[in-house]
Amino acid sequence: MAAPLQHFRRVPAMWRWRLPGLLRAGGGPGGVAVPRAGLKKWRLPPDYSGITIPEKPKLKFIDKVPAVPKVRREPRRLRDIRGPSQVATDFTQGQYGILALGGGYLHWGHFEMIRLTIGRSIDPKSMFAVWRVPAPYKSVTRKSLGHRMGGGKGPIDRYVTAVKTGRLVVEVGGRCEFGEVRPFLDRVAQKLPFPAVAVSRESLQEMRREEEQRRLDNQNPWTFERVVTSNMLGMRKYLSPYDLKLKGRYWGKFFLKHRV
Amino acid sequence: VWGSVARTDAECCPAGWLPALQLLRHGSKAVTRHWKAMHFQRQKLLALTEYLPPRPALPPRCLPRPAPRQQQEDGYARVLRAQLEATLRASRMVAVCQYNAMADEDVATLRHFLRRHDIHVKFVLNEGSLQDPAVPPRGALQFPPRGALQSQAQLPFPGACIDDTILSRQGVESVARLPPLEVSQGQTVAALSVLPSQTCSLLQRGPAHLVALLEQHMRHLRGAGGAVEPPPGTGNQ
Repeated sequence: MAAPLQHFRRVPAMWRWRLPGLLRAGGGPGGVAVPRAGLKKWRLPPDYSGITIPEKPKLKFIDKVPAVPKVRREPRRLRDIRGPSQVATDFTQGQYGILALGGGYLHWGHFEMIRLTIGRSIDPKSMFAVWRVPAPYKSVTRKSLGHRMGGGKGPIDRYVTAVKTGRLVVEVGGRCEFGEVRPFLDRVAQKLPFPAVAVSRESLQEMRREEEQRRLDNQNPWTFERVVTSNMLGMRKYLSPYDLKLKGRYWGKFFLKHRV
Repeated sequence: VWGSVARTDAECCPAGWLPALQLLRHGSKAVTRHWKAMHFQRQKLLALTEYLPPRPALPPRCLPRPAPRQQQEDGYARVLRAQLEATLRASRMVAVCQYNAMADEDVATLRHFLRRHDIHVKFVLNEGSLQDPAVPPRGALQFPPRGALQSQAQLPFPGACIDDTILSRQGVESVARLPPLEVSQGQTVAALSVLPSQTCSLLQRGPAHLVALLEQHMRHLRGAGGAVEPPPGTGNQ
């Protein structure tokens, strides 16, 4: 024990209680809270005030066959999976979703896989999911195994939904963060018949911003659009009228995401 | 095509084994299912119109290593840091001590005693946000606006910073033993004013006394170094 403190310990008791800090309950020595543990730095919780969970938070069951009175066999019309999507490219209710990065056909098995996986993974009290694709509507015909060719169009094998590039397949929302929903959305996305990624509202916006930035930053003076519109070297002879619109970013159902 | 397939199968298969007459078809071989071959001119056009990223002014390997991303400081840590900085700027002496486990009463009495000498004890936690190698973890800082120091064995400190000078423990003790600034200034002035006053009195006593003194001085010099050097300038006087 130090000499000065030895001296100060002999302060009379009636004087000691006049020290301001000792009167304070739980104030620590001398009225100062001596920090005994680390600072607690909590992140501000995200704002979930505007979120309402719908009545039925899980994905709806999708019919295998559309309820139409007359079953019709359709031509293939492969242009319904070609090029960028004009519908369902932005979020409506949810904050997270699965974005198609290519065209393809979803059939009932895919719908069931998505419904069951997401329904198993979400917490229906705090999260919800909604479809952004219609139920299978397009008939696909198939001749039976071992059937001779010819003899007209075969019977309807199944119904599919056409999905174009840039379309959201499902949306997930609620009081949850992207890190929570991302694992199961990724698991679903890798089982789809086209390349797909899990996105949130922010990441989708960021993706589009980066794309625009790349287009502006491009140092190549010869862009596809410029060559095609001015028909340099007679290029239009080898290109389709679609290339005027799609600017070389799509080839069939494929989306060439490395191009600008 | 069929003939060629059958022939190759017949070549590689053992005799008596017939390959399946019809190969299984897996799904529809739709036109868009596969990557359709492009026209060669179109391939050339796509290769020509690739994306070229902007070239940075400096190659990236010449740039300094990017600083690790700083977490956004929360408000409380910022307030603490500002308070600490203001205190460090405002105080003349800063001593950093290790905070030992002491009884609360001891701490209170110590604080009160130091307070009399205008020394304030503050408790600072060495947080990640307030990281400072000089501050030991669980450190107690003392900030006296004016220097008044007592040796404390309870809170051993390695040194202190007084008037922007870093002093060791011994240095701090010697500084504490120094007289106040006014006294030492007065002493210095007094010591400096002794010599001119002596010269002044010498000059006032008269030239005869001065000459006698100088002669005595010369004699003294001659007696000290007479054997070595000849007496300089005796005729000059």
